[in-house]
Amino acid sequence: MLFSSLPFLYYFLPVTLILYGLVPKKGKNFILLITSLFFYGWGEPKTILLMILSITVGYFVGIKIEQNLGTKVAKRWLIVSVIFNLGMLGLFKYADFFISNLNLIPFVSLPLLKLALPIGISFYTFQIMSYTIDVYRGDVSAQKNFISLAAYISLFPQLIAGPIVRYKDVDEQLTHRTHSSEKMALGIRRFVMGLAKKVLIANQLGELTELFLASKDQSVVYAWMYAIAFMLHIYFDFSGYSDMAIGLGKFFGFDLLENFNYPYISKSITEFWRRWHISLGTWFKDYVYIPLGGNRVSKSRHFINILVVWFLTGFWHGASWNFIVWGLYFAVILMIEKNVLLNGLNRCKVINHVYVLILVSISFVIFNATDLSAAVVTLKTMFGLDGASLYSAETAYMISNYGFVLILAALGATPLPKTIFKKLNQNAMMQKFFDVSEPVLLGLCFLMITAYLVDGSFNPFLYFRF
Amino acid sequence: MNRVRSTITILLFMAILFSLSFVSWFKSETLYSDSERRGLQRFPELTVETLFSGSFTSSFETYTQDQFPLRDVFRKIKAMGAFNLFQKQDNNDIVIDDDAIYKLEYPLNESMLDHAADRFESIYNTYLKDTDVHVYFSIVPDKNYYADDSAGLLKLDYNHLFEHMKENTPFMTYLDITSMLTIDDFYRTDTHWRQEKITDVADYLLKEMNTESDLKTTEVTLNLPFYGVYHGQSALNIEPDSISYLMSESFEQCEVISYSTGTAKPIEIYNMSKASGKDAYELFLNGAEALIEITNPNAKTDKELILFRDSFGSSLAPLLIDGYAKITLVDIRYMQSSMLGDFIEFDQQDVLFMYSTLLLNSSLVLK
Repeated sequence: MLFSSLPFLYYFLPVTLILYGLVPKKGKNFILLITSLFFYGWGEPKTILLMILSITVGYFVGIKIEQNLGTKVAKRWLIVSVIFNLGMLGLFKYADFFISNLNLIPFVSLPLLKLALPIGISFYTFQIMSYTIDVYRGDVSAQKNFISLAAYISLFPQLIAGPIVRYKDVDEQLTHRTHSSEKMALGIRRFVMGLAKKVLIANQLGELTELFLASKDQSVVYAWMYAIAFMLHIYFDFSGYSDMAIGLGKFFGFDLLENFNYPYISKSITEFWRRWHISLGTWFKDYVYIPLGGNRVSKSRHFINILVVWFLTGFWHGASWNFIVWGLYFAVILMIEKNVLLNGLNRCKVINHVYVLILVSISFVIFNATDLSAAVVTLKTMFGLDGASLYSAETAYMISNYGFVLILAALGATPLPKTIFKKLNQNAMMQKFFDVSEPVLLGLCFLMITAYLVDGSFNPFLYFRF
Repeated sequence: MNRVRSTITILLFMAILFSLSFVSWFKSETLYSDSERRGLQRFPELTVETLFSGSFTSSFETYTQDQFPLRDVFRKIKAMGAFNLFQKQDNNDIVIDDDAIYKLEYPLNESMLDHAADRFESIYNTYLKDTDVHVYFSIVPDKNYYADDSAGLLKLDYNHLFEHMKENTPFMTYLDITSMLTIDDFYRTDTHWRQEKITDVADYLLKEMNTESDLKTTEVTLNLPFYGVYHGQSALNIEPDSISYLMSESFEQCEVISYSTGTAKPIEIYNMSKASGKDAYELFLNGAEALIEITNPNAKTDKELILFRDSFGSSLAPLLIDGYAKITLVDIRYMQSSMLGDFIEFDQQDVLFMYSTLLLNSSLVLK
């Protein structure tokens, strides 16, 4: 089920809020578990069993690790957990990728498994691994209450597209979380803003990118417009979803960690990755990069560590060579930055922003391509290498049709609106004005979102495929 | 966030959420949308099979959209948001320029043109090739062709469309009517041309097909608003059109028979009961009909015409009747062309294939 859908907003959410509000404190996690399983199973009921199996294995392994903490037995249980979760990912997400690549070898012809990818498997397997690893490290105690652990893993606000919530960040909140009207209001504001980012901005930019990909009249300007539109689309789509998740978390008393921090104002790719999909970056840093030795190793080993982390980051996004190339592309840039560019970039104002935006837009062309050859075709058009015209009638129409949305999106991707709002809010008169106008604007915005959902059929979500 | 703002935020959000939710849950189903001219999704069947196949959930999502309370109001809010807030040129492909509504028809789909040409060639080879019929072909440009540049439309490559169709139908004599029409010859809120504005087109076709005609007509304007097909799709308050038709004494003697149901059924040239229905343009020859025969005992000639046509032909055919003793209108969207031999004996008639650019560019419906 999508947050940005009428079944979620006007059926699932009100029922869940009523049930959650009615039950006493002790039963709240149970309600969250039941509603989360319903939410998860909405599109594909069969996959609920798979998730329950993962949760059950995680639950027992966590307890076994804690019982044997400090011994080799604990390590063996941890290995069981990691193998089980990576095995699940391998089977459902990567098996056909490996098989189709093996089939490239002469005389090898293995049948593809063609298993449907369970929604959110990349997110919840990483959460379960983070839990068992943290128990092994002694950072957290094993959760003895199955309902609480299951509620953490299946928690619907973050279940299918993150943020990847590490157990240690919500351990305490699972049993002792507070509910307040202020938290609820903040949650509403965050949720509605996230919905607006997704429904009012991202979907429109998504339409533009789909039109470009289907067009037989691609010009150089149109290709750049596509690259910029997709860059903004994926940001508004994914950060909008994270905003909705954080907002919904507050509805139920949870404070989830931030996942984005205006990545497009970065002055280097290094900074960009500190601001983009923060929970994934943190996960790989804590559970892969640091255990490999991080940067406290020889230079050559450090490079290998970076390559490994970025290969895995790319591969996590999808079982396709373009995702691997996308990850390694960033690995190479990050290595160059760390050794040559970083100091210079910090001094060159404006140029450093342009540098980041161009490199990121190119990266997302690779990311969004169906395969590597499709990415090369679009990149060639962008740089006028395939004989495409500079401009066309279709390009002119797309600029006039989507130009304003693109400008709004570009401004919205910077902290400017928030800064202006904060400054105005410091004024006592304005504060009083905002006391009424902000909720009214949020209400109107919610109605406009509803209107777009009632009359809209284009409502994909990019990170569902991960 | 201070207490006042928190309280108002929660109250307002919950009021909207729960009021629209409760109405959604308990309102009775609406079966048909007049503005969109389509049936609405009803609550889907819930069985183990539909649940596990995913068909229940996808139908339920459509159901929530179609049955949402105040659906037309929300569609209007969305259209206003698209045009005024986001400065879009189109909303769901609908473009509005100076109270006229257009629908984007883009891009040109050559495979569809080829499919249409294939269908025509197949009919020609099956029924017409070894006869003495005279075969003509004419394309009705849709109104986007005539739209002013200020409308900001993304237009088809019409010249390419015309040339492509001509090249692929060398067995037909092409009759070009593009210069006889202007944007004023089309309804503002509908896709079709106005019958009272196409007498010159009819005269030109009759002349090119070597037929005499002296049809005297009087214009009758209905005292009813005409909400064209684009009006509902736009979801906005746009002035409706008026609809007129041309009356002639010649029509009174004509016999009009529909064979659409397989048996002969008399109909009228103008079905006035349709004028106040969901689509007033259907008053012309009863709207969608697979096969119609119009016999005119007072025709200037004893020639016969077979008109392969889409809905544009419904308003044109009455204007051709003075030149033909019999006109047979065939709509191969609603009947298999392989069945034509059961109803029509092709001999020495004039045969006119007349299709709009809209249909040619999405011709899969031609059977």
